[in-house]
Amino acid sequence: MMRNDPIKHVFIWPAVLIVLIVAIFPLIYSLTTSFMSYRLVPPTPPRFVGLGNYASLLQQPRFWQVVATTTTIAVVAVAIQYVVGFACALALHAKVPGEKLFRVGLLLPMLLAPVAVALIARMVFNPTMGPLNQLMTLVGLPNLPFLTTANWALACIIAVEVWQWTPFVILMMLAGLQTLPDDVYEAAALENATAWQQFKGITFPMLLPISAAVVFIRLIESFKIMDTVFVMTGGGPGISTETLTLFAYQEGFKKFNLGYTSALSFLFLIVITVFGTIYLALLKPHLEKRR
Amino acid sequence: MSARSLSSIGPVARAAIVVGFFAWAFVTLFPLYWVFVTAFKPPPAVVGGPTYIPFLQFMPTMQAWEDILAGIRGDFANTFINSTIVGLSSAAIATLLGAMAAYALVRFEFRVKLASGLVFFALALGLYLAGTNLLGLGRVPSMGIAFVAALVGSILVNRLPAPGPVLGNDDIIFWFVSQRMFPPIVTAFALFLIYSEIGRSGFRLIDTYWGLTLCYIAFSLPIVVWLMRDFFAALPIELEEAAMVDNVPMWRIFVEIVMPMSAPGLAATFMISLSFVWNEFLFALFLTTSKWQTLPILVAGQNSQRGDEWWAISAAALIAIVPMMIMAALLSRLMRSGLLLGAVK
Repeated sequence: MMRNDPIKHVFIWPAVLIVLIVAIFPLIYSLTTSFMSYRLVPPTPPRFVGLGNYASLLQQPRFWQVVATTTTIAVVAVAIQYVVGFACALALHAKVPGEKLFRVGLLLPMLLAPVAVALIARMVFNPTMGPLNQLMTLVGLPNLPFLTTANWALACIIAVEVWQWTPFVILMMLAGLQTLPDDVYEAAALENATAWQQFKGITFPMLLPISAAVVFIRLIESFKIMDTVFVMTGGGPGISTETLTLFAYQEGFKKFNLGYTSALSFLFLIVITVFGTIYLALLKPHLEKRR
Repeated sequence: MSARSLSSIGPVARAAIVVGFFAWAFVTLFPLYWVFVTAFKPPPAVVGGPTYIPFLQFMPTMQAWEDILAGIRGDFANTFINSTIVGLSSAAIATLLGAMAAYALVRFEFRVKLASGLVFFALALGLYLAGTNLLGLGRVPSMGIAFVAALVGSILVNRLPAPGPVLGNDDIIFWFVSQRMFPPIVTAFALFLIYSEIGRSGFRLIDTYWGLTLCYIAFSLPIVVWLMRDFFAALPIELEEAAMVDNVPMWRIFVEIVMPMSAPGLAATFMISLSFVWNEFLFALFLTTSKWQTLPILVAGQNSQRGDEWWAISAAALIAIVPMMIMAALLSRLMRSGLLLGAVK
């Protein structure tokens, strides 16, 4: 029907124009700036340096440490989110007691501002006034300086990411579970398949496409993590919890090293694109079988 | 159904599942309880070690809220209004424009040549470089010229019988969604610089309503297009076809038939984009300084101000999260009607 009404252009162009303007200008601006040596403080006029910014970034150990930190946070947090979220979705779907009540409560964290969540986390992890260390004392464990030692701070950030974004996995997996046909399970029950066999043979494979999408979305989003870290540790102690976005922010907004920051954000973009393409390429054969 | 309900599993496993589930529910809800009670604690009940139960371990006070209202910890009233205005208007505009685009992408066929996309990028980049380096124009004028020329050029190329692959509706949707993959720091930092340059030529964008809203609209559009496409695709086409036969103009079909039929979807999409804008931190950090600061910036600043006054910090955090909690309750009522199913299929 109505395949070629010219009014379709009126419908689509406002959105396309806004996204083009807000997406393409910054892209071109950063791309061109990333090949220049350009500082605002102290003011230096732009000078073409070719791939100089990229080369010096790639040689800097701090860059690689930041990449490693960001990857660790993203991969570990998303793995835990997926397992816990899937388990909770299965439990909710099987109507655990209190299921109605928890449906709203369990989804709450993902709608809350990450900066506020990070503040709450700082309270909970506080060594003297926080409830967590009191619990540790109660069960006989030593009090831990959660946010001031490198490894614990990283673990705390991952914990907060898991706390905040597991609900997203629950939501999506629950919606996926509701689309599964009942008759397959009835057939499986007739053949006396155990619950685990049913999960392995039916539920998991049938939810593979949505699982792939959920993990993909969460990985991409986790790579951009900034607000939580900004409030919880500020990247510290030292630079042990600094993420890519925070690093770019420090370089750009504190040092006003424009060329360098642009190159950094472009490298970030390349990393995400390469990563996303590999992920999709790896998953494609598995997904197409299901179609 | 029986196969997937808890009754088909052994009693030990069932107990383990229930215990595990309740443990997670506790982990999820405890921090929220904690921030609620802390916001009503008197300072000694915070500093002297953790206290848990109001009235038993401490007497609730309104001290923290009085401090906030008195403006000791920053201008919360104004910031709250800013967040509300920016959030509501950008979510509304993004939902409207995104829904229009999604509808067009569901009901009409679009064909964009890959060549025309490449021409757009090449022209925009080339003319911008030529404008700044060869013609000696400023960055902003050359961007404007480059953009218009690239747009005209790519539309012309699309008309010509150019070789190469042709992109369809799915590719356009992918293009929209892929904008969300972008690390926002690329956009935020460059927008900050571009806004400052435009500001130097007399048109202020940093720390203004339009500067922030424009960027939030663009930031929400990909999600809106993605969600609304599924809602529209699920609509029965017969009503629209009947209206077509009666020669009702397209825009009236959209406003009077399609929009009312997808009202729950529009509401959910509006709320989801509102929550994104309300909680957004990075763009607000770069693009506002004082007048149009939003809540996340003010809340993040509580950390360093006046030390660890956790009772007041809790109150500040609550101001940022309570509106979203109310919205979550509304949203979950919408979702119970199986609203998200379409987005998943």
